[in-house]
Amino acid sequence: MRAQLMRRTLPSLVLGLLFLSTPAMGSCLDKYQELLGQLQKQADIMQRTSLLLDPYIQSQGLDKDGLKEHCRERPGAFPSRDALQGLGRWEFLRTLDTTLGRVLHRLTALQRDIPKAQDLETLNRAKQNIRGFKNNIHCMAQLLPGSSETTEPTPTDPGTSPSPTPTSDTFQRRLEGCRFLHGYHRFMHSVGQVFREWGESPSRSRRHSPHQGLWKGTRRMQLSRKNKRLLPRGQLPR
Amino acid sequence: MALFSVFQTTFLLALLSLRTYQSEVLSEPLPWAPESLRVFINSTHQCLHLQWSVHNLAHHQELKMVFQIEISRIKTSNVIWVENYSTTVKWNQVLHWSWESKLPLECAKHFIRMRSAVDDAKTPEQSFWSNWSSWEEVHVQNSLGHDPFFVFPKDKLVEEGSNVTICYVSRSQQNNISCYLEGVRMQGEQLEPNVSVFNLNHVAFIRETGTNIYCKGDQGDSIKGIVLFVSKVLEEPKDFSCETQDLTTLNCTWDPRSDTGLLKQLSQSYTLFESFSGKKTLCKHKSWCSWEVAPESQEMYNFTLTAENYLRKRSVHLLFNLTHRVHPMAPFSVLFTDVSATNATMTWKVHTTGNYYTLLCQVELYGEGEVIQRNVSVEVDGKQLFGGLKPDTEYRAQVRCANANHFWKWSEWTRQNFTTAEAAPSEAPDVWRNVKSVQGHSVVTLFWKPLSKLQANGKILFYNIVIENLDRSSISKLLSIPAPANGTELNLDQCLYQIHVTANNSVGTSPASVIIVSGDPGNKEVEEERVKGMEDGFSLSWKPQPGNVTGYIVEWCDHPRGPLCDLQWKSVGPTTTSTVVSSDAFRPGVQYNFRIYGISTERVPYLLEKKTGYSQELAPSDNPQVVMSNLTSRSFTLSWKDYSIESQPSFIQGYHVYLKSKAGQCHSGSEKAVLSDDAVCCKYRIDNPKQKTFVVENLQPESFYEFLVTPYTSVGEGPHGAFTKVTTPDEYSPILIRIILPMVFCILLIMIICYLKSQWMKEKCYPDIPDPYKSSVLSLIKSKENPRLTIMSIKDCVPDSIEVLNKQEGTRKSLTETESSKATYLYLLPTEKSYSGPGPCICFENFTYNQAASDSASCGHVPVAPVAPLSQLGLLTSPENLLKALEKNYMNSLGEIPAGETNLNYVSQLASAMSGDKFILPTNPPEPALCSEYKMQMAIPLGLASPPSSGSSSLSSVTLLDEGEHYH
Repeated sequence: MRAQLMRRTLPSLVLGLLFLSTPAMGSCLDKYQELLGQLQKQADIMQRTSLLLDPYIQSQGLDKDGLKEHCRERPGAFPSRDALQGLGRWEFLRTLDTTLGRVLHRLTALQRDIPKAQDLETLNRAKQNIRGFKNNIHCMAQLLPGSSETTEPTPTDPGTSPSPTPTSDTFQRRLEGCRFLHGYHRFMHSVGQVFREWGESPSRSRRHSPHQGLWKGTRRMQLSRKNKRLLPRGQLPR
Repeated sequence: MALFSVFQTTFLLALLSLRTYQSEVLSEPLPWAPESLRVFINSTHQCLHLQWSVHNLAHHQELKMVFQIEISRIKTSNVIWVENYSTTVKWNQVLHWSWESKLPLECAKHFIRMRSAVDDAKTPEQSFWSNWSSWEEVHVQNSLGHDPFFVFPKDKLVEEGSNVTICYVSRSQQNNISCYLEGVRMQGEQLEPNVSVFNLNHVAFIRETGTNIYCKGDQGDSIKGIVLFVSKVLEEPKDFSCETQDLTTLNCTWDPRSDTGLLKQLSQSYTLFESFSGKKTLCKHKSWCSWEVAPESQEMYNFTLTAENYLRKRSVHLLFNLTHRVHPMAPFSVLFTDVSATNATMTWKVHTTGNYYTLLCQVELYGEGEVIQRNVSVEVDGKQLFGGLKPDTEYRAQVRCANANHFWKWSEWTRQNFTTAEAAPSEAPDVWRNVKSVQGHSVVTLFWKPLSKLQANGKILFYNIVIENLDRSSISKLLSIPAPANGTELNLDQCLYQIHVTANNSVGTSPASVIIVSGDPGNKEVEEERVKGMEDGFSLSWKPQPGNVTGYIVEWCDHPRGPLCDLQWKSVGPTTTSTVVSSDAFRPGVQYNFRIYGISTERVPYLLEKKTGYSQELAPSDNPQVVMSNLTSRSFTLSWKDYSIESQPSFIQGYHVYLKSKAGQCHSGSEKAVLSDDAVCCKYRIDNPKQKTFVVENLQPESFYEFLVTPYTSVGEGPHGAFTKVTTPDEYSPILIRIILPMVFCILLIMIICYLKSQWMKEKCYPDIPDPYKSSVLSLIKSKENPRLTIMSIKDCVPDSIEVLNKQEGTRKSLTETESSKATYLYLLPTEKSYSGPGPCICFENFTYNQAASDSASCGHVPVAPVAPLSQLGLLTSPENLLKALEKNYMNSLGEIPAGETNLNYVSQLASAMSGDKFILPTNPPEPALCSEYKMQMAIPLGLASPPSSGSSSLSSVTLLDEGEHYH
């Protein structure tokens, strides 16, 4: 039991430390490679099923033969890896931010099905990690070129995102939650791969050259810092 | 109940049949039949709610009626429930009735109908049943979705141990559906072609998130299920109790028992209701609740504690008088005043709980294993005096209080510690001594035991020792030994001394302990007795002394084997003649020696008895080191004189000698013994532990034996370790040796004699020709430190001139070129004509030998005695004469050498043939010339090495120098 708790807590702590470097300080890293590496690490950690899916399966009693195999991601619930890879960098970041906002909302909905305080704590920690990851996405978006032309307000507030259709059937809701978490971890795995590809081919897109982005991002960072107080927290800049 | 219901139903049916008959006869409809019957479904609770009304009632008319309700399942003829619902019907009233189905309503169609009858005494004529209403069909399946199958009931909440019916409804009859409870397949029964039901009996609580029950089609891709929330049964709160500490707030507590909280159901809530005041409060905590006491003087309280969850309620009641439930707060400000060595006063305060309450306080004092308990009645402040306390002792005091009038509970303890003051030591230290005589003086070592805490009455700071010489009473000496010393050493003379020892603390001095010490240690020789140790020590007893004794002292060493003896003693009274000596230091296998002293009235100790023993005897762990001697063909001797019997782990009673032999026969004095390895041997027993030698006899010659010597004690013998091997010698060998040795000696003696005789014969008859190189003269010369003197080798020397006589070819040849095959005679002639002077004395000097030559190894000046071959010597002259002549010349030549006189000395030269000196033939017997300093010169015929080859050899003779040439 103690080991299980460690397994759950340790990655979260690591994630917390990773997040400390940017959002907690209230400013973004202006080094592209450094930020990219951090996003990769965060995605690698968030893809671990021990953070959310495994404790959920256990608390809901879904760890039985005949049930486990139904705990699979529903097609279309999350963007596939191919779809993510086909996106431009800016579109990718926006999709990621949107999807994670949806995840946050869904996790909040899942809380009512979790009676144990310990599991609730795990869930809340995961939500904090997602929020931190979204902040890093925001920072990365600042380093990409053309963001000023294409940026749209990305709703990250769970209250404003489209809510899933909850069913009153507890069993079905339970299965859906399990499928959702499975999809979430798979999605984060794909996200990590995309970020890794970014690192392997830094000049993949001439339009999205990291050097250019870095340069522009630095300039924009200065601007954004000036207007920082005007931006709602957790929202990407316009 | 059911029986009664059936009876009632039967009765009513009979009655109603009669009424129906009557109505038919009368052909008048019942005016108050149920109308507008509607059925509502509550799937969550599996309930059917019926709603209807009764018309034709007059305004404000109330009528007691009975409504009979029939419920059928699947088809109308399958009636599963009949119930008569009696109620008073008012004008324009809508009536309700509910029924909970065991089977989920979705699992089957249900049909409901009802009829009514008046059951009112006011209208007895109308007491017959109305017509049945039409059947109302309830078919929930119609409203289900388009999924292939469904499972019911959804999210049902039941208590642990309940029976639950579950069903699935399939859209198609062909679907092969399997259902599982937490992964375990369930066996159901078919209710309809597309409906199966599963009855779960005594469902158990599994987890707070509920029990998963699910069904899967044969394809396995679709899954439907429900969560059955099984709650623990709500239990009645235990140990419900209320009390007050300050008469303003009541604190009620209980044991909530198990938590019935689930994902769907919150934990049970608790409500406190007081019936006298009618007040009610919802408790915020699970196990306690506060209740404000009414300001008016309400003494009696009747509480009802209700625990409630979604399924059940439980209540407990409590009635009490407030003043009887006072639990005072703990006293405070506990202080000690006037603390002396034996007395202390304790004071404390209590919280006020009203104007008229008296508290009973309990005071306890703990110290040195004693408890003093007092009860004190207190209103505001408490006070208690404690006497008879022990000096310098820490006491722990505690006080608690309770309502004196109506005891309910003691308050918590309030504790405080204090320490009494010191007092002078109450007892004299226990003193003993050890006396040794060293060079006419007495070395007295005084020992004393530290006073116990009870005796010391404080911290002992030092010990005072007063030494008083009894022979010269005027002389006394004072020593002060700081604590925590427990002894000191005194050097005293042979006089009689009285020693006083006192212990001192900060307050005063203890009584003195007095002991008399004299030069005589008093250790008279007494016989030592053995004692047997017990588990708790040694039980010692001694003979009572006829004279007056003031007591006895038993003395021993805790560590007799250690370098420090750690002397211990025990004092007993004069009437005691036995005691048990115990010590934690006693170890098994260690010998302890006890000395028992009597203390005379003059306080002089004298030795009475000695005891020795083991607290526990152990078997010897080692065997003695045995030395074997006197080995003969029939016996040998064993000895182990180095074996100390005093340092053994038990009293040695004797020894066993084990002897193994191939023969296996044991002679008298021994017995057969079987060892642990099943080896059979002979065992000899030695009963005297001081006997450390043993002769093993009756052995066989040339036999192999093994022996072992081991001590034996009362607890066993030593280890049967390695045996020592020995083989007896041959019986005849000594005899043969006794014969052969003298014979050999005799033979050797005879041989020596024969040899000497033969030597004598040899010397007499055919002596050896002396070898000049082996002459002792050489060593004599060496001893005279003239290393240059040596015998010249001819080949190393260049002659001054060589005159060849009897030259056949007229050719001169050097000496080295001479051929041995020819008879050639060489004459050595001096090149210098000088000589010492005319006359018969000729001094021949050869200066060839210079310093450098003399130093060379090849030209050592070694005098060589002339040697002549026996064959030729025999021909020339008699051996004796020849020897004499040779010796004489030889000696003369030696005599002429002035050893160490000069660096260049002439030494007799020997003209040698190339082959060596062996065949030097003296050509001429030495001339007996007077005062001649000429050393014999020998010309060696070269051909002497081989036999003479011609007849001229008969003429050959060694011709020395021509006299005419030599004597100028």
